[in-house]
Amino acid sequence: MLESIVHVCLAGLSTGMFIWLVASGLTLIFGVLGVLNFAHGSFYMLGAYFCYTLLGLMGDNFWLGLLLGPLCVCVVGFVVERYFLRYVYPLALPYQLLLTFAFVLLFDDLVKVVWGAGSIGSPTLPGLSGSIPILGRNFPVYSLFIIGVGPLVAIGMWALLEKTWWGRIIRAASSDREMASAIGVRVPALFTAVFIFGTWLGAMGGGLAVPYVGLLTPGMGESIIIDAFVVAVIGGLGSLKGAFLGALIIGLLSSFGTRFIPTFDMFLTFILMAAVLLWRPQGLFGEAA
Amino acid sequence: MKRFWTYVFIALILAGLVSIGLFAGRFVVYLSMRVLILSIFALGYNLLLGRTGLLSFGHAAFYAGGAYGLGLISIHVTTNPLLGIIVGVGLACIMALVIGFFCVRHTEIYFAMLTLAFGMMVFSLIWNLREVTGGDDGLVGIVRAPISLGFASIPITKTSHYYFFVLFCFILTVALIYLIRRSPFGLVLSGIRENDRRIEFAGLSVRNYRLAAFVISGTFAGLAGALGALLESNANPFSAHWSHSAEPILVSLIGGIQTFTGPVVGSVVFILLREIIERFTQNWMLWFGLILLIIIMGLRGGVVGGVAQLFRRKRSHVAKSGGNR
Amino acid sequence: MNAPLLEIKRLSKAFGRVIAASNIDLTIDPGVLTSIIGPNGAGKSTLINMLSGSLPVDSGRILFQGADITHLPIHHRVRMGLCRSFQVVNIFPDLTVFDNIQIPVLAVHKRARRLFRPVAREAGVREEVSQVLDRVGLAAEAQTVASALSHGDQRLLEVGIALAVRPRLLFLDEPTAGMNPVERVRVLENIRGLSEEGKTTFVIVEHDMDIVFSLSDRVVVLHHGVIIGDGTTEDIQKSARVREVYLGEEVMT
Repeated sequence: MLESIVHVCLAGLSTGMFIWLVASGLTLIFGVLGVLNFAHGSFYMLGAYFCYTLLGLMGDNFWLGLLLGPLCVCVVGFVVERYFLRYVYPLALPYQLLLTFAFVLLFDDLVKVVWGAGSIGSPTLPGLSGSIPILGRNFPVYSLFIIGVGPLVAIGMWALLEKTWWGRIIRAASSDREMASAIGVRVPALFTAVFIFGTWLGAMGGGLAVPYVGLLTPGMGESIIIDAFVVAVIGGLGSLKGAFLGALIIGLLSSFGTRFIPTFDMFLTFILMAAVLLWRPQGLFGEAA
Repeated sequence: MKRFWTYVFIALILAGLVSIGLFAGRFVVYLSMRVLILSIFALGYNLLLGRTGLLSFGHAAFYAGGAYGLGLISIHVTTNPLLGIIVGVGLACIMALVIGFFCVRHTEIYFAMLTLAFGMMVFSLIWNLREVTGGDDGLVGIVRAPISLGFASIPITKTSHYYFFVLFCFILTVALIYLIRRSPFGLVLSGIRENDRRIEFAGLSVRNYRLAAFVISGTFAGLAGALGALLESNANPFSAHWSHSAEPILVSLIGGIQTFTGPVVGSVVFILLREIIERFTQNWMLWFGLILLIIIMGLRGGVVGGVAQLFRRKRSHVAKSGGNR
Repeated sequence: MNAPLLEIKRLSKAFGRVIAASNIDLTIDPGVLTSIIGPNGAGKSTLINMLSGSLPVDSGRILFQGADITHLPIHHRVRMGLCRSFQVVNIFPDLTVFDNIQIPVLAVHKRARRLFRPVAREAGVREEVSQVLDRVGLAAEAQTVASALSHGDQRLLEVGIALAVRPRLLFLDEPTAGMNPVERVRVLENIRGLSEEGKTTFVIVEHDMDIVFSLSDRVVVLHHGVIIGDGTTEDIQKSARVREVYLGEEVMT
């Protein structure tokens, strides 16, 4: 029983950290730009496909692929923000959401055109593939690796936002755009930069997913984006700390749910999301407005 | 004079719709029904989006409520479609009332996320409660038995017969939505869209009016769902998925969310374009993504809004146009 | 004089460490045109927000015509006859001027819930809308979209919407801000006329001392959430305490 619970916990942690990798970019973009980006799931998907292709081109060097793949997606992110999203900031919410939704449709089909509509099996990694025994049962090494990467990303983002000049500017712009532009911050350029950075995080998540999920499918962005929304909402829209903790909760909830009450596993996730929105719209870990 | 031409226009459209049922081939009739059902869905939905200014990602759940309500009655109780439709629409209405009660506490992004959460709850129940809903298979084998009214029985088994029933429901929906838009209630809804705080200070409860709009639109979604289930002879779990809620949004946006006819025009464009694009390529989503981009970036009035603007521009050469709505 | 229209008992509100209202006691009698003045940050807006229902109170009670309304939602207070206008323009920008006024009138006539009857058929409502438009001088602009009005006209419309709910007590938050002199005179005469009719009692928050002293029967001075002066215009002009507070802020006439 204990072994089983430990394993369910570990699986939950790795799932949670995965969602966190995607939700971090989503949350950052929402926090600064105020746009909830449906296309973030597409960046995740594009990240996975680019990494996969680069992996093939560069002779199985996963790390190089992981470095370059997301950078390619950043170019896409730049185009999306600079030439489209920028013009809808002043518009009503439906237009903003639907613009990003249009990109979801677009990228989903583009992936089908370029890589084919079927699933692609992904290669395994030397060194990080295989399993090691934990309490008498095998656990995938790569999942442990992901459990390690998640907090690293969190610490990195915390350091960036709290300790650097850039972070101060970003925080200033997210709390008061007009004030920031009054003290000489070029807000549009900053927004573009933040969007690209958020895109990079999403695409990194996708790249790291290549060996993890095993199969690449054109719809893979759509399932993760809803998980990321749930996490971002539970943590409080725009709060990175909240998103991290929210991802842990959702990861554990879903892995325990799948193990013990598979029928209501998805239901639980969404009821938690609704409950948070109703009783603590600022998020479980946010401070009251 | 203008009124006369409006009547002529309506008569022509009606004649066209009736002749589709009388003379067109099966496939055209089938496609027309899909257009009409999507129009019912979108007309109701746009009361919330265009009028009240609320973006819901949960209306697929009410559509599914209508479909599964009808399906369960049809399979377990009676095949009389009338009872099935009444139960389906009633179920959707009650679901909208309960879900709406919670959702109207928020607006904007929080409202959208709440409706998403509730909608996905419904989806997960339909997906997982296999014994009741058939899980991922859905409810299959819904038959189109004759509508028995006690004194008379209307056969709808044949596609062309069913078409007239759908057309009747469509006309009913158009008439009701038209009346609602012109009513005091409709005016209050546009007031809420424009400035909800001010509505409170007019002595009206914004929450109650939002809830009423939510329930009305959810009920029409249920009607669309029930009719759709009868058309396809099954209830599909993915009709409850959030991405299905995007359909009435897209359609309203294509047609023009600030117009009465927008959702209908949008439905025609949506279904036809999809049919045409799928003839030539596998990638209709790609093209729809592009169309959506164009509409959002440059043509926010949608098709109807764009055409109206063209006319207005022409007329404003003659006389300075006053703002009327 | 009959019973007081509004009674405020020991009303308090703090935002963190900033005290916006501290044990305020205030009574407003029907027909007495009252002005609330005070330097910036005195708590005037907070007070109006609490009375009209936009802000919850920390402690204290608000009685309107004898009924406790401390925790009632905004629309209930409005239906009882307590309304306000806003300092910034707060109208329905994309609706016509006529519809802007029509919404509150429909609410007063309890017609707003009608679902299937064309709004154009509500003859009684339309007539009253026209009366309100005449009163604020916007009859000629009835079919104009509100956002196309000049700023001054939008302010007039704002006051018109507030009047349309037939309030017994109406708070006007800087009703003449941003108006040209002609519009200003029109609004002030309106307020004076309506006040003398006696159906509506006005409470005005103003910065312009000319307006305050020419219009008011009574002036209440607020400073740091405390009432430091309350009386006729002469009383207030003479008060040493009030002069002290205002010294350097504004020259008293």
